[in-house]
Amino acid sequence: MTVSALTRPGERDRLVVKIGEIDWIFCLTLCLIAGAGAVMLFSIAGSSWTPWALPHLMRFGLFFAIMIVLALIDLRVWFAMAYPVYGLGFLLLIAVDLVGHNALGAQRWLQVGPITIQPSEIMKVGLVMALARFYHGLSGKSAQLSWWLLVPAVMILAPVALVAKEPDLGTALLILMTGGIVVILAGLSWRLIAAGVLSVALLVPPVIMFGMHDYQRQRLTTFLDPESDPSGSGYHILQSKIALGSGGLLGKGYGLGSQSQLNFLPEKQTDFIFSTLAEEFGFVGCVSILALYAAVIFMALRTSYLSHSHFGRLAAAGVTATFALYVLINGSMVMGLAPVVGVPMPLLSYGGTVMLTVMVGFGLVMAVRVHRYSEVTSGKGSLL
Amino acid sequence: MKAEGLAEPHIFFAEVNERQGVFHRRAFLLGGFAGVGILALGGRLAHLQLVDTQRYEKLSASNQFNFKLVPPPRGIIVDRNGAVLASNRPNFRLMVARDKGVDPAATLKILSSFVPLDDQRQARLAKDISRAPKRAPVSVMEDMSWEQFSAINIRAPELPGVTADMGEVRVYPYGGAFAHVIGYVAKVNKTDIKPTGPNSDPIMLHPGFRIGKQGVEKAFDLELRGKPGAQKVEVDANGHEVSSDPAGDIPAVPGKLIELTLDVDVQNRAMEVFGDQSGAAVVMDCRNGDILCLFSGPSFDANRFVRGLTGAEYSALARYERKPLFNKALTATYPPGSTFKTMVALAALDSGIDPQQTHVCAGAWAWGGRVWHCDKHHGVQNMHSAISTSCDIFFYQTALAVGPDKIAEVARKFGLGEIFDIGIPGQKPGLVPDKAYKKRNFPKDPVWHPGETPSMGIGQGYTHLNPLQLCVQASRLANGRKALHPRLIRSIGGAAQPSGAAFGDLPFKPEHIDFIRAAMAEVTTTGTAAAFGDLGLGDLRMAGKTGTAQAYTYKGGVGAHGAVGEWKLRDHAWFIGFAPYDNPRYALSVLVEHGGWGAGAAAPRARELMRVALLKDPEMRARIEKPLPMPALPPAAQDDDGLPEPPTPIAPDPTQPRPAA
Repeated sequence: MTVSALTRPGERDRLVVKIGEIDWIFCLTLCLIAGAGAVMLFSIAGSSWTPWALPHLMRFGLFFAIMIVLALIDLRVWFAMAYPVYGLGFLLLIAVDLVGHNALGAQRWLQVGPITIQPSEIMKVGLVMALARFYHGLSGKSAQLSWWLLVPAVMILAPVALVAKEPDLGTALLILMTGGIVVILAGLSWRLIAAGVLSVALLVPPVIMFGMHDYQRQRLTTFLDPESDPSGSGYHILQSKIALGSGGLLGKGYGLGSQSQLNFLPEKQTDFIFSTLAEEFGFVGCVSILALYAAVIFMALRTSYLSHSHFGRLAAAGVTATFALYVLINGSMVMGLAPVVGVPMPLLSYGGTVMLTVMVGFGLVMAVRVHRYSEVTSGKGSLL
Repeated sequence: MKAEGLAEPHIFFAEVNERQGVFHRRAFLLGGFAGVGILALGGRLAHLQLVDTQRYEKLSASNQFNFKLVPPPRGIIVDRNGAVLASNRPNFRLMVARDKGVDPAATLKILSSFVPLDDQRQARLAKDISRAPKRAPVSVMEDMSWEQFSAINIRAPELPGVTADMGEVRVYPYGGAFAHVIGYVAKVNKTDIKPTGPNSDPIMLHPGFRIGKQGVEKAFDLELRGKPGAQKVEVDANGHEVSSDPAGDIPAVPGKLIELTLDVDVQNRAMEVFGDQSGAAVVMDCRNGDILCLFSGPSFDANRFVRGLTGAEYSALARYERKPLFNKALTATYPPGSTFKTMVALAALDSGIDPQQTHVCAGAWAWGGRVWHCDKHHGVQNMHSAISTSCDIFFYQTALAVGPDKIAEVARKFGLGEIFDIGIPGQKPGLVPDKAYKKRNFPKDPVWHPGETPSMGIGQGYTHLNPLQLCVQASRLANGRKALHPRLIRSIGGAAQPSGAAFGDLPFKPEHIDFIRAAMAEVTTTGTAAAFGDLGLGDLRMAGKTGTAQAYTYKGGVGAHGAVGEWKLRDHAWFIGFAPYDNPRYALSVLVEHGGWGAGAAAPRARELMRVALLKDPEMRARIEKPLPMPALPPAAQDDDGLPEPPTPIAPDPTQPRPAA
């Protein structure tokens, strides 16, 4: 196929061409990370496919297929779906507040038949899509500084407020930061950025003092001084650091991590799976996994450069930002650089919700890549 | 909708390019931030995993491994010939610990199908388990059979909190014979645990650990205890054992071996001859003070105390009037009766009284406004015959002539009223009275009345002594020249304990002591114990002195003289003696509490003990087995080594036809 062939009208809409346009190296990297997750889940279950490794792989396989299907969906359909998805997410967030399932003192789930829905996860992708769509139709000048910016501000803060009320501070912060990054990427004035940073810095102490639940405050204080209560709240951080540190250069060997195998490490299959990996494979294993994550981030970010539409650019970059935030927050948490907030390591940790969010997000990124030459309307005059 | 929305693209090139430029610059920044973030994580990892790794390795190991205390094997106790008196045997134990997900009552219910546990015991154990600290095992059953042990061990993985393991339990092969001397071990009480010192050791809390409660076990508890070892085990975050690492174990140091001077055969014979009689027997080597026998009867099985007595068992022992829990050889004191006359006689000799001076015994003697009795009409008695016949009338008058202070002085030289350091506690000093004693202890009547002296002359009155003291007295009389001290502990962990022989000479003329010994030989030849001097061991003869001590005053006719009447009111029977008379080796004292006559109850038992002691002595045995000098003995029959001929073989002659089986 020649370049001229691709320029032929309709040629790019052919399924075979579209599949060829998917970044398969990117997909392979995702498979490697998920595979590493399965390998670790097999180890910490005591060399058993159940209860974690097999479901992890099966889920990944399903979500991978979903990602490929989503990648083939025309970017204009994504564009059209942006506000409805955001709206649906928002409605579900309100619903969760009213009838949601209570787990560990927080209402985060909606039970619909056999499926549990975590609306905050829908919102992660939905917000990125909605913001990208909004900025797609906004001039560069308005995006810099104008009254129009109140719209994205409300779009971000309304779901953040609802998620924080659940309470799920980690996810709320994640959504806030993702939204903020999209707003900044869209061209927000540096002055406003500086003002925002300053106001956040001023707001943090009163929020900690008055706006937080006890357990949230406790997590924060133990983060600042984990050794103060090693068997209590500081336990998670300390045990994670012990697992990491005792791994050394090459690790204790596969299946031989005493911290995880003997249950000293809490949440070893979810939030602290990176510690398990660090214990058994050491510095070399950790750096390899971090390199894979870095590769995913940079490939996804490059996709945003390729897009000819502003919607595609912002959407791809927004998803990348979400993913990068997951990696950095979870990494900092397990290494004792951040307080314990329930943020998993994407694709490595066991758990379907975050994996689905990430894979749907990457479906959007791949759709941006496959349809990078698509021309997307401003959306004016169109309902969807 | 699709058609119209997608048909007319609105592209604002200038705008788009400007927005695109801003986006590219800022996305580049975003990528930079992400890169920096990931590099920072890598740096943090390098710090944790490469720089601080040793610190975290230690923390990880201390998470992973625990050391579990292992009680040391308790030291063995042996007799003078190495016969084991106390050792350890394997014990299959069943324990249940409180833990998450363990319902003690339900667990015990399941266990009751493997081992006998009635409902009452189950209820009590369930209470114990729920009160015990978390994961501290509570003993449910000791001494399970191998079948029970293996049945439970196979199912242990399905029974959380249950452990069946093999520990050690103390065993006393001779049961009751040594119970008072060796004592016993038992579970640690709360009161045994001290905040400091050796009894603060955490091993005290181990369910398999036992502590010495009486006798040698108590007195040498620390020596016998050894040093606990530790088992290296891998534990998970909940403290459950996952596996063990035998290479990392710290071996326990067994307790020291304690060798006693006792002889298992003499001691066992004492138990046999006492039967259910109450009393005590002490046998001593009168050359060095080694105690061959220290028996108190009736006894009890120390093994029952190790297992733990039931309330009914304990109260039966505690309430029995013959007091089996009491070590009568050391703790009980009795009036010495006529055995004390040896001391009175020696005091008289030492004061210069002529032993040929006579007194006439008419069965009664009026002095000091009352009548003093004797059990017979002995007629004219000198000192020699008065000892042999045990004439009270003679000694009433001799005591008056000597005076209490002199008698007490002599008696104390022979160890009466003294506490000896034999290693185990519980000795009562008893009393050898004198004028100073009276003055000290009777403020209302501080004067020694002359009427109190005749009683003292026959070993009654205030005088009361323990059997060990009387054995020391007999030993010192027997060896004649030197004082010696009793010794019970021969060696501890191979280190020999000081011998009792190294003491000074007695400050008496040898001919005076020889006189007493000759009189004691007369006792067992023609005197009160005439029937028992012949040991039946060739030419070996035993010398001695009987004693029949009033346990009650006979006033009002309530007392029972002799072996009749109510047990509690009968006289105490004494015998002290030594053998062989010509070259004393062993001395003894025998007390039969409320046994009646000394000659009837104590002397025959003494004879049996002395026979065993002599037969076990190789030199004595050689002397016993020495063929009688036969003039016609051909020299060819004599062995080259000069040892006596071996006895004629008892084995049946194989040439004779055997009786059909």
